[in-house]
Amino acid sequence: MTDTIKFAVKNLDFYYGDFKALDRIGIEVSEKQATALIGPSGCGKSTFLRCLNRMNDLIPGTRVDGEILLDGGNIHDPGVDVVHLRRKVGMVFQKPNPFPKTIFENVAYGLRVNGVKNKATLRQSVEKSLMDAALFDEVKDRLHQSALGLSGGQQQRLCIARALAVKPDVLLMDEPASALDPIATQKIEDLIHQLKTYYTIIIVTHNMQQAARVSDVTAFFYMGRLIETGDTETLFTRPKLKQTEDYITGRFG
Amino acid sequence: MERHNFHRELEQLKLTIYKMAALARQSFDNACKAYLHRDDDIAQAIIDGDREINRIELEIDRQSLRLLALEQPMARDLRMIVGIMRISNDLERIADQSVNIAERTLFLCQHPPLENVPAMEALIDISKKMFAMAVTSFRDLDAVAAKQIPALDDQADEYTMQVLKGLIEVMAASSPGFEKRVLKMRRSIQTIIISRCLERIADMSTNIAEHVVFIAEGVNLKHIQKL
Ligand SMILES: Nc1ncnc2c1ncn2[C@@H]1O[C@H](COP(=O)(O)OP(=O)(O)O)[C@@H](O)[C@H]1O
Ligand SMILES: [Mg+2]
Repeated sequence: MTDTIKFAVKNLDFYYGDFKALDRIGIEVSEKQATALIGPSGCGKSTFLRCLNRMNDLIPGTRVDGEILLDGGNIHDPGVDVVHLRRKVGMVFQKPNPFPKTIFENVAYGLRVNGVKNKATLRQSVEKSLMDAALFDEVKDRLHQSALGLSGGQQQRLCIARALAVKPDVLLMDEPASALDPIATQKIEDLIHQLKTYYTIIIVTHNMQQAARVSDVTAFFYMGRLIETGDTETLFTRPKLKQTEDYITGRFG
Repeated sequence: MERHNFHRELEQLKLTIYKMAALARQSFDNACKAYLHRDDDIAQAIIDGDREINRIELEIDRQSLRLLALEQPMARDLRMIVGIMRISNDLERIADQSVNIAERTLFLCQHPPLENVPAMEALIDISKKMFAMAVTSFRDLDAVAAKQIPALDDQADEYTMQVLKGLIEVMAASSPGFEKRVLKMRRSIQTIIISRCLERIADMSTNIAEHVVFIAEGVNLKHIQKL
């Protein structure tokens, strides 16, 4: 375990128009750990996740207050290149969203956008990313077939490979397994365990058992507030606050 | 994601262990009564009643494992189930010790009473008190009350030593005739075994108190010396 802070969020407020979706969020996210965000639907988990790589910038009428420091630098500083930020802080969504291209091109896409042209380099990176996403063995004989022919679970791992190809530091995952069957879910969970050796992972999940299984740290959100953060084992065996206890034991929500 | 059905089943599990606790208390109280009043009918009833306690222990094990496997309980629910499994284990052993006391009592009832050792009654009183406090603190999930129990255990140990000393003196006092001396030794040793059972029950009441603190507060008191 390391104590290097990847993200330091201070006093973060977020508005959709007049609606305040996040209220004074403060959290430190350690490097190379998996942090799970839990809480009832609509409590602001996805909103918070999207703040971390400024995906909310794309939604008109939104406003952010407060600070988000990534490796000590404020991600809202005027000098920040958002494309570069999103490369460093990659994202995987609930529904696998591969491009209607070949498996190879899906993974190569980000590299090509970054100007990588050398064929051998491309092939190496694509294969490495597919291996890291625990997908390579299943697709190595059909790299040049359409990604849309893959199963849902394979598509999701392809999206993870695509995110890994551009060598991010952080991987944001928004309910990455909620559209998958139990076996595909298991593979994603195993993958998260492997990935956190190299990447900082922040995962939103509505499945508490999943949060308990994959994460080192868990943060409980409720109605736009961060109620309690703690190491996962403690939070799920003896949370400090009654509100957390009531939620995780299924007494409300 | 409210879990009404699970919480109903957890309440059911609690009722089952309350029942087990009540039976174990009855068994122990009766064992003390049988010993003090030299009542072999009561002693026999304790031995016969132990089956039901064993059955409930298995039932609690089954229900607890099922809830752990199927419901994946969290936080205080998880601690409650783990705590119930531990407590039922201690209750079953307390009931076994009560049976042990009853068996010795059946032997003692066949022979004339031994010289009185005052520490024996004190030991009975304190172990009964500790077990009663343990069961009540569990029902009320009262960690403050539970934390008072381990301190009494030293007293129980002290009385056990006094009983042993007293009975050694009884055995050492010469009686006329070899047969009589042997019989006196046998009765003394049976009584020493009873004192040992009482001391174990005090220990297991302390265990239960520790489980109560674990359930209520999530901290493990075991092996943290002296509260
Ligand atoms: N694009 C949007 N425009 C307006 N309100 C939104 C938008 N996205 C989310 N919200 C609102 O913000 C709150 C938090 O939503 P969200 O972050 O998606 O919650 P969660 O991921 O925890 O379910 C909800 O009340 C939701 O209705
Ligand atoms: Mg969401």
